[in-house]
Amino acid sequence: MSESTRRGFVKRSAAAAAGMTVVGALAAEQADAKAAAKSGPVVAYIREPRTGEITVMAGERQVKLEDRKLAARLARAAR
Amino acid sequence: MSSHREAPAISRDPVADSTDLYAFVSPDDPGTVTIISNYIPLEAPFGGPNFFEFGPDVRYRINIDNDGDGDADIIYEFAFETTVANADSFLYNSGPILSLDSANWNRKQFYSVTRISRGRRQVLAEGLACPPCNIGPLSTPDYDMLASQAIHGLPGGRTVFAGQRAEGFYVDLGSIFDLGNLRPFENLHATFGLPSLAAAPGVNGTDNFSVHSIALKVPKSDLTRNGSNPASASSPDSVVGVWASASRQAAIVREPWSEYVHEAGEWTQVSRLGNPLFNEVLVGMGFKDLWNSLPPSADKRFAGGVQRPELAALLPVLYPGVFPNLAKLTAARADLVAILLTGIPSGLIPGFQNLTGNTLADMLRLNMAIPPASNPSIFGLLGNDLAGFPNGRRVQDDVVAIELRAIAGATYPLVNSSYTPDAAAAAVTDGLTPASVSRGFLSTFPYLGIPQGGYQTAPLGTV
Repeated sequence: MSESTRRGFVKRSAAAAAGMTVVGALAAEQADAKAAAKSGPVVAYIREPRTGEITVMAGERQVKLEDRKLAARLARAAR
Repeated sequence: MSSHREAPAISRDPVADSTDLYAFVSPDDPGTVTIISNYIPLEAPFGGPNFFEFGPDVRYRINIDNDGDGDADIIYEFAFETTVANADSFLYNSGPILSLDSANWNRKQFYSVTRISRGRRQVLAEGLACPPCNIGPLSTPDYDMLASQAIHGLPGGRTVFAGQRAEGFYVDLGSIFDLGNLRPFENLHATFGLPSLAAAPGVNGTDNFSVHSIALKVPKSDLTRNGSNPASASSPDSVVGVWASASRQAAIVREPWSEYVHEAGEWTQVSRLGNPLFNEVLVGMGFKDLWNSLPPSADKRFAGGVQRPELAALLPVLYPGVFPNLAKLTAARADLVAILLTGIPSGLIPGFQNLTGNTLADMLRLNMAIPPASNPSIFGLLGNDLAGFPNGRRVQDDVVAIELRAIAGATYPLVNSSYTPDAAAAAVTDGLTPASVSRGFLSTFPYLGIPQGGYQTAPLGTV
């Protein structure tokens, strides 16, 4: 395989892979959206944004996750 | 009051407010125990058009500890649902309610009962009907019949009732909350330099008010740790600790310009009740809401209020010269700790114990092997009646007088025989008896009286 051909192959393969990633991401988002739709309203509670701890409540379930960026972003949005 | 409006936060949330808890061997069915958990303080019988009801967004529980750790081993959970037949009508009922399925009754409540033990949830029943509130001779002409229709059998020999009842807790609220005044003894009150008062009979401040009761009768073996039938009063297996609780979901979101309210998250306890008056009298104002959020197993932090109750220090000040021995009693009150937090061990009262162990936990402790009294005393153990408070609590027990007397030093000789209680400690009372409850009591399940009708109720008057 010539260098140009090889580069073209790599480029096309990369594009295809990227396309697959996008399709995969879209499918995951759609699955997430469907799952979210089933869960009903979701409440997120951030007691102290600096810690990044977010309590997420849906139905009778309650989980804690730590995401400083998301906590900060939500806190900024509420200002 | 026993636990009516006893803490700042719960006083703003009546449908979740545990007001009284009773647990006793059923006098007419001594193989069973009846537990009654009341909510919604001071219901005025005419309080319509949206008459009182359980909270469909509240989770009500009766909790049983049968191994002495102050945590629940058995839970009976009650969840309510409200239905509205005609959303376009403002009426609670559009004609006489003659049966629980009456088409004239617009707003009905139904409930489920679930037993939880060792992580296993067993739904005992669903869709059980509550009775309506007692409205008056046109709306609820035969209330006794409606109420009896709302007594439901459950699997396993259990029986349940949930709905409005007459308030059975008698107490002179107006007097006691006026700086610890007790009308029969108010001639002895310090009065803070104000004109002296003449002794007077007690006034039952809760008379003719109603509450919402959850009453449950279960075989004794439903409560013991090994499913056995308690036979020996000296056996630890015969004693259970009982408390009521109410929880709400962690988050509530209200949408503007909408009736929509969204609730989400774990159930979070907002009300608790074991022994009457515990949170009200023995826990400081700044900690009452915290107490309501905790299980009995966390009560060690409140032991100081039991060992040195504020009221024990106040009595000699409010009634100068009446409690000289109490005034000199400075030791930690091990008697009150035993009565309220651990149970009374064997050897202090002949033939009796209701010890659950060393864990300090406010629970209503019942020795189920003690049979019902043939001649009950409203003063329970203080009246030499082993079947009464603080061995559980019966609907007619005078818990105000019993606890006043205990705090005044009447029970301190249990732990220190050299102490002589003041003569007043055996006599102190707010001057009321079960006869002060106009609606009376029932001799059978659910034991609390038929609630007063709204039409039949006169507004409060002047003493």
